[in-house]
Amino acid sequence: MASMENFRPPEVINRWRVLSLGIGGVAFLIWAVGSYLNTEQALRSWLLGFIFWGGIGIGCLGVLILQYVTGGAWGLVIRRAVEAGSRTLPLIALMFVPLAIGVYTHSVYEFTHLPADDPVVIHRGVYMAPWFWIVRSVIYFAVFMFIAAMLNRWSLEQDNAKDEKTAFDLLGRSTAFSGPMMVVFALTVTFAVVDWVMMLDPHWFSTIWGLLFVAGWGLSCFCFVVALMAFLMDSAPMNAVLGKRHFHDLGKLMLALVMVWAYFNFSQFLIIWSGNLPEETTWFLTRMKGAWGWMGVILILFHFAFPFLVLLQQDFKRRAKWLAGIAIFVLFMRLVDMFYQIGPTPRVDPRGIEAGAFYVSWMDIVAPIAIGGLWLAYFFGQLMKRPLMPINDPNLQRSIDHGRGH
Amino acid sequence: MGDNIYGVLAEFDTATDMVDAAVKVRDAGYTKTDAFSPFPLHEIDEALGIKRSILPYLIFVGGLTGLLAGFGLEYFVHVIDYPIIVGGRPHLSLPAFIPPMYELTILFSAFTAVFGMLFLNGLPSPYHPVFNIPRFALATREKFFLIIEASDPKFDHEETRKFMEGLGAQEVFDVPE
Repeated sequence: MASMENFRPPEVINRWRVLSLGIGGVAFLIWAVGSYLNTEQALRSWLLGFIFWGGIGIGCLGVLILQYVTGGAWGLVIRRAVEAGSRTLPLIALMFVPLAIGVYTHSVYEFTHLPADDPVVIHRGVYMAPWFWIVRSVIYFAVFMFIAAMLNRWSLEQDNAKDEKTAFDLLGRSTAFSGPMMVVFALTVTFAVVDWVMMLDPHWFSTIWGLLFVAGWGLSCFCFVVALMAFLMDSAPMNAVLGKRHFHDLGKLMLALVMVWAYFNFSQFLIIWSGNLPEETTWFLTRMKGAWGWMGVILILFHFAFPFLVLLQQDFKRRAKWLAGIAIFVLFMRLVDMFYQIGPTPRVDPRGIEAGAFYVSWMDIVAPIAIGGLWLAYFFGQLMKRPLMPINDPNLQRSIDHGRGH
Repeated sequence: MGDNIYGVLAEFDTATDMVDAAVKVRDAGYTKTDAFSPFPLHEIDEALGIKRSILPYLIFVGGLTGLLAGFGLEYFVHVIDYPIIVGGRPHLSLPAFIPPMYELTILFSAFTAVFGMLFLNGLPSPYHPVFNIPRFALATREKFFLIIEASDPKFDHEETRKFMEGLGAQEVFDVPE
């Protein structure tokens, strides 16, 4: 069987790791100062970075499950990248701690401040209690980490497999496990984002919320992986693996998820707009006023229309660097989208900011950089731990050949 | 001979042989060529120098037509011909218009794709001169065929036939009109 020396990660990843760690560390210290000045704003900004970068990590887990279920060359060439992403879950859980402390001390999230006779408190009861909110999040992380641990373990065993039958059986085991885990994953994400993001506005609700994030985080993951692959393609070993057909396939998946994102968002809007009920429309009314309204238009144009038209063209999907450019652009729009979701929600410590007013804090820029730097450093560290391709996978050669075709 | 010839057909045992031959045919300057295989061969497009189809652009225009047709239909019905106030909303309510516009975009794109594909391929085609060669039936099973048509400007019956015979073909046939 193939040796571990094949597909050894290039040295350049370590340089990226050190660079990310430096930038993330400095930004984290600046954010830490900010958290003394304005705790709630610091935590809201932290949530923005957490949902964006944590979403890439959790999205990686989703795509890892997905590629076992569907099979295909695109899944095999990115498997090690999404595996490394799924192994960042312990760090993502650690990054959740500031938010848990914030909720426990009632310093962020309006639901921690609602009076006992508020209708949603009466109706939802203990579900709105800060301690139960934290317990649920612990469960979500446990579920995510369990799935990630299993798939990563079997993948490593496959690398060390002595014969082809063992390698084949391990692939079968991961595939059989991934089927039901897809359902578990989608349900866990739904519950998690309802708690982490939708509950910022405790009186508002939307039943498509979970799917919005399943699609959005999947898109984030694909954009991230495409950018990563385009950079890895410059050096050995991936320059001998990746071909234009791999990027073509990944580009098609990006296009599909850009459309799914738009489809779910429009569905949510259309249903609320048609129903026209005051308790549902407030969310959109806030986001259609002033600068928030313009941000919505920007999202329609640049999170959907522009990438959609660009990705429709075959040439764009087959050129790694072009596709990576579009991927990084969409990734930035994902951050804008997250800001659009989180920004206008009610504050417990407004400090003169009118409810629903457009406001960007300096910490909204620093916190995503801090989390991003630290997360990327951890990610690159994980990526270096294993060969960049599953060396004993039965479909390895076929997947590599696929990229060279036309 | 000469006037009633459709082209010269060569039979190959393997896909690789045919693709290699196709590259030589292209390099020799023939343009009116075609290849037949029991399964899709992606590399043949490049080997024969077949240009990319204009179908995707037709589908885009078709989809755009569907989008505008959907909007036109709804605008005519809801604003011009029979305006009714629904749920206190303006006659021109874009969010409600979007689903039918979307559906018509898909419908028109799909129709353009299917009928455009048939038209560009010249289908349905109940008769084709290659059917005159009995062995051509094997193109649906295990053999690969390459044809240079007589309408090619470089086509010269004797010379083309000799050229085809030198490509490693199993057999070369004259295809009558």
